[in-house]
Amino acid sequence: MIKKEYIRSVLNIFATSPFKPLVMHASKGGDCVRKLNEALLAYCDGDMDKVEELNREIDVIEHEADVIKQTIRSELSSSIMLPVHANDLLNFLKPQDSISDDAQEVSFWLTLRKIEAPDEIRYGFCALMEKTLATVELYEDLVATLGELLETSFSKRDVEDTLGLVTKVEEMEHQVDIIEKDLVKKIFRNENEIGALGVYHLARLVRGIGDIADKSEHAADRLRTMVLRR
Amino acid sequence: MSLFDPLVLLLVAAGLYMAWNIGANDLANAMGTSVGSGALSIKQVIIIAAVFEFAGAVLFGKRVTSTIAKGIVPIDSISLLDPHLVALGMLAAILAAGFWITLATFYNLPVSTTHSIVGAVLGFGLIAVYNGIIGYNEIKWVILAKIVGSWLVSPVLGAILAYIIFSIIRYFILQKTDDPYYIEKKFVILQTLTACYIAFAHGSNDVANAVGPLYAGLHSLEMAGLSIPLWVMALGGLGMVIGLATWGYRVIETIGTRITELTPTRGFSAEFATASVVVLHSYSSLPISTTHTLVGSVIGVGLAGGLAAVDLSVIGKIIVSWVVTVPVAALTSAMVFTGLLGVGL
Repeated sequence: MIKKEYIRSVLNIFATSPFKPLVMHASKGGDCVRKLNEALLAYCDGDMDKVEELNREIDVIEHEADVIKQTIRSELSSSIMLPVHANDLLNFLKPQDSISDDAQEVSFWLTLRKIEAPDEIRYGFCALMEKTLATVELYEDLVATLGELLETSFSKRDVEDTLGLVTKVEEMEHQVDIIEKDLVKKIFRNENEIGALGVYHLARLVRGIGDIADKSEHAADRLRTMVLRR
Repeated sequence: MSLFDPLVLLLVAAGLYMAWNIGANDLANAMGTSVGSGALSIKQVIIIAAVFEFAGAVLFGKRVTSTIAKGIVPIDSISLLDPHLVALGMLAAILAAGFWITLATFYNLPVSTTHSIVGAVLGFGLIAVYNGIIGYNEIKWVILAKIVGSWLVSPVLGAILAYIIFSIIRYFILQKTDDPYYIEKKFVILQTLTACYIAFAHGSNDVANAVGPLYAGLHSLEMAGLSIPLWVMALGGLGMVIGLATWGYRVIETIGTRITELTPTRGFSAEFATASVVVLHSYSSLPISTTHTLVGSVIGVGLAGGLAAVDLSVIGKIIVSWVVTVPVAALTSAMVFTGLLGVGL
């Protein structure tokens, strides 16, 4: 029940800002990917207990991200006026939410099967994961600039800074793509050693990790639309 | 007639209650934005509000007070017949408005004291017409139309002015700076000034809601002349300051802790716009709602891209409260007046 306050006030005009929760939501995604990075390192070492444990932790963080996403959506009724289009904001929230979703899925796939592959491939996974994490962390920095943007009410300079970061995220995602293709080729080259099931499993992992970087790039792109279409 | 006549005492008490209500809520609302943006502490706000609200009421409150007292209902023609009728009618008006405001406060409705008192005074006038004391055309409908018109215009004017002020700050200052947080700090000082300005503006307009009917009653009982006595204005100012000190600080606290979006540049824009619109109306002798003007100004800042999220559904609520308040206050006032006549006071 709402506490009775016995006031007639101007408070109702001020709605909850969706931007702070948006930044929180982005960092939940980042947390998932950081945990996934640990899980992948443990996976390459063959430490499946740790992989299981981290998988549970990622499940929890992913759920927290979902709750934040639902709160943002439920508080954006049609009467709320924002400095950006509400639809653009929701369109950008969606791929951002996929970052934690995809991290959760990769983490689950890690628990399914032990790695049986040459070192070359293990290193490939580490490199792919490292670049993906870097992309996501750059994306987190990008979302954090929203605070400054609001503070100066979208000054030209701040908009340029933000757009510059969007481009960097896109460039980094492109590098992830290159590593991704290279790694898939390596996996197929070692088909005899890994086995058909192993190839399927590892290729799926590569695809999953690449998706995380894809979603960051996608969200960054939507963020640009949101900032430019005010 | 002596000051200690029961009817006079009742009038003064009712006027004080109304003033207390205004101080506790409307003044607190106007000042809460300064606390919310971190410009001032609650203690500082109360001191500033007390000084400038009082000054606004005493120095610049007479025009609007005169409108509430004589601008709507021709009290002089009524008191020719029986001066007691005016005193009773105005007592009924304050009681009705006070009751409606208390009810609205209880249910957290955005009802304006100004709208309530105007409706209540009109209710008294209509009963006078109904009883054949004055003619229907003697009620000053043109002035009433102007007042109601100003209720529509003032929030819009607040929005436009706030939009312009914030756009100027945005274009010339915020967008040119490397460190917006430094600018916000600088605006804290300016916002202290607008806090004084808004308190003065509020005092000059809203004091009338409490002392307008009181003065009308005293005037007809020949206890006050053609110009409004200083002590009446001071009484209204004092009542509002007491309201702020005894209850309003809690309202300020509530508002201050929840309005975190309104940084000093935004707060300054909204407050400056609101205070200017209110002072303009005080000068034009028109009673308006400070709170509704402030809501308009906040929307103006939001339209200029200054706020993270503004809930426009409050506009609908305010419009409903406009439409409901005047008839309900008029009806209540008419009933109380008829009741008082029936008791034979």
